[in-house]
Amino acid sequence: MKRIKYILMLSALVVGITMVPGVVVGQEVEGEDVKEEAEAFNPKETIFEHLSDEYWWTIAGKAVLPLPVIVRDNEGSWHVFCSSRLRNGQSYEGFHISHSGAYERKIVGVDANGQEYRPLDFSITKTAAGIIISAVVTLLLVFSLARYYRRRGMKAPRRGMGFLEMIVEMIYKEVVVSVLGKDARRFAPYLLTVFFFIFISNMIGLITVFPGGINVTGNLSITLVLALCTFVVVNISGNREYWKEIFWPDVPVALKCPLPLLPLIELFGVFTKPMALMIRLFANMLGGHLIMLVLLCMIFLFSAMGAWATGVSSVFAVVFAVFMNLIHVLIAFIQAFVFTLLSTIFIGLARPAHETQGKRE
Amino acid sequence: MSLFTPEFGLAFWMLVVFLLLFGILAKFAWPSIMRSMDERAAYIDKGVEYARDAEAEREKAKADVQALLAEARQQQMEVLQQTERLKREIIAKAQETATEEAKRISEAAQVAVEQARREAELQLRRQVASLSLQIAEKVMRKELSSDKAQAEIVEKLLDELEHKD
Repeated sequence: MKRIKYILMLSALVVGITMVPGVVVGQEVEGEDVKEEAEAFNPKETIFEHLSDEYWWTIAGKAVLPLPVIVRDNEGSWHVFCSSRLRNGQSYEGFHISHSGAYERKIVGVDANGQEYRPLDFSITKTAAGIIISAVVTLLLVFSLARYYRRRGMKAPRRGMGFLEMIVEMIYKEVVVSVLGKDARRFAPYLLTVFFFIFISNMIGLITVFPGGINVTGNLSITLVLALCTFVVVNISGNREYWKEIFWPDVPVALKCPLPLLPLIELFGVFTKPMALMIRLFANMLGGHLIMLVLLCMIFLFSAMGAWATGVSSVFAVVFAVFMNLIHVLIAFIQAFVFTLLSTIFIGLARPAHETQGKRE
Repeated sequence: MSLFTPEFGLAFWMLVVFLLLFGILAKFAWPSIMRSMDERAAYIDKGVEYARDAEAEREKAKADVQALLAEARQQQMEVLQQTERLKREIIAKAQETATEEAKRISEAAQVAVEQARREAELQLRRQVASLSLQIAEKVMRKELSSDKAQAEIVEKLLDELEHKD
């Protein structure tokens, strides 16, 4: 009985993941068609609309959740209003959403000369809302585990909690403790938070129904902040050995004295490491979403070729979309794990032990 | 493309939310989770060690019992053997004693019989002697009525005595 329930839940999940994007894309495209007088389907437009940030949250079809807009104009005054006032190209308090040019899909103001300018934009956009949802889900999950331990003490958790504990255990014991050793307790909170935030964001990004489906980790701003945090943690926790290795490495003096060749390369490396973290996570998650959208857009591209092409392409697109989605579940975990693992290794590299260093040389 | 340019406002919210998340989790959740996990791991390790010790103890106790049992069996065997030997000895001794006693009794009986036989013989001899004397007296009284016969008899007896010597 329990197994049947699980199978039903699983199939519902799969159907939810795979069918809803089609429905949503379909409805939205339909809506656009109606709105823009039956304009031809533009896959690039649709895909980029889904991947980039928006000032509202399209739930399904015309059901749109408006989000708060918080902007500061060039005269220094703040404007807070609901994004529904900017729908369909409307203008409010001198702001509107640009449709072309450098600020495409962003809120712009019009200055005295009639030129578009970008105000200081602190709006809670779709992605910002996604961040908050991910953070709340992370909080709930982690606190439920903490509460479990407080209540049950030594009893090993089962089912959901057991799964959560398995992941925590894996990150903490296999990654943090094995790389950092006695420093593990100090850095584990940061690394575990990073892992869970990325993992949960990735997983929520896979759920296409309303409170999910936001391309959080596939947004450069988010990965930039995450990489920046790792950069700060690595360089603050770096010990003397680490800085000496950067500015005065153990190489012939000619390589570092008149022209600081190696110190320059080392210093460059300090910045490229978090950059690599940022780009890796961003590109992987963006790629996953992109593939899904491209596959589903194929249905609408082929629909121009008649009923047969539509039917065949739908079947293929959905089958491939399911396949890609399953792979994406794997990628969601792997990328979170890789980000955490590399952060841990960078922290470990920034804290070389004196004894081992002495022995090796 | 807007997709590849970081957005300041979004990065700001991300930083705020992430730092808040990190602060809350690092203060209230992760330490207790890690402590609980470490404690439990230590507890389980201790439990396993304890179980292993107990197992070893049990094995040792089992061996001890086995040894004790073997020893007891050995002792039992020894005692049994001793008893057997003692039994045989007692029986042998008793038999010996009995034989001796029987022999003694039978010897005594033989002696008594011999004595009785001798006494009877003696008595018989005495009786025979007196009877023969009586008979001789009677015969003599009748025969020795004449002197001639008397002399004859004396003569004969003397001869006999002479022969005997």
